[in-house]
Amino acid sequence: MSEAIISEIKLANAAELDLFLSEESQQRIMSADERDTLQEMMNIAFGRAAASLAEVISIFVSLSVPCVQLLKGEKLTVYLEQMVGPGPEISIVEERFYGKMEGSAFLVFPADAGGQLVPLFGDEETLYEGEAREEVERDALLTTGGILIGACVGKLAELLGDQVSYSPAKLVAKTQGKAIPAALCNPDAVAIVLKTDFSFREESVQGFLFLVTSQESIGWLKEALAGFLSQYEG
Amino acid sequence: MAKKLQTVLIVDDSPISRKMLKSCFPKEREFQFHEAGDGLQALNLYRELKPDLVTLDLTMPVMDGFTALAEIRAFDPEAMVIVCTADVQDKSLQEVTDKGAFMILAKPPSKGSVLEALTRVEESA
Repeated sequence: MSEAIISEIKLANAAELDLFLSEESQQRIMSADERDTLQEMMNIAFGRAAASLAEVISIFVSLSVPCVQLLKGEKLTVYLEQMVGPGPEISIVEERFYGKMEGSAFLVFPADAGGQLVPLFGDEETLYEGEAREEVERDALLTTGGILIGACVGKLAELLGDQVSYSPAKLVAKTQGKAIPAALCNPDAVAIVLKTDFSFREESVQGFLFLVTSQESIGWLKEALAGFLSQYEG
Repeated sequence: MAKKLQTVLIVDDSPISRKMLKSCFPKEREFQFHEAGDGLQALNLYRELKPDLVTLDLTMPVMDGFTALAEIRAFDPEAMVIVCTADVQDKSLQEVTDKGAFMILAKPPSKGSVLEALTRVEESA
């Protein structure tokens, strides 16, 4: 079964679990055109991020069609559990970003991804020499995550006319239940989730990146989307 | 003599992206636009319409742009295809060049980049 189909099934399950706001509610907050524009921006931003990563390590990233969903903050943890599914541990790299658009970016990898990424950074023997294995693998994950998240969020902000600053990338959890910061899980808040699946062709590492922005960003985001689209009008 | 393009098939899964690209074509020219939302639709429309130009996204459901490009070029080795993509990795660009894309237009498109692409296509004919 292809990754895209698996992803669609997971999204369908998420919808069945009533995680997302109804289409009517989503429409009230952001129109279909606004969500489509944001989705296209995420596509552009992640494409740039993949190219940035390829400049640093010899890797080819297979991209997929991103999706944009609105859900209640309190459902974020369940959403992540649904996306990852039961099974082995996962590694999550998180980076918070601050600007007119604020939120957190999460890069979710299988738990063993660090070990698979290390050889892409150079000679394994040299990299592991005198270092704890776990530290080297953690570094590989953080570096990969930092590049992908930084380039993706940076491009997205640039397209929206914003400039963001970041907290340093950190490995937040090896279990999904603890990954989402409490501030984003506010039961009264609406979160925008932008998710894109990817796989590294050479190492068969699969994962996904998702960005969560707070409800406070929505008003500004709508204006920024209108500004972006205005250059294509008339 | 340079050939003037008339029929254009825009292939992208995002409706807003198709709209954005269309709006970048020079208004003073009369293009006939057709649209497809995935590679398979594009292939079927290409067979039916034989457009002068195809703009092709790469990351799409059902059939991606890499496959669609290969299929279109297999059907018509003279097909003029501009890949309009967010996937700007060197390996992707090399792959589409090998598969016969005329050129690559990085997203987001602009009036300037589209005009430049059209000029290059028309001058090559």
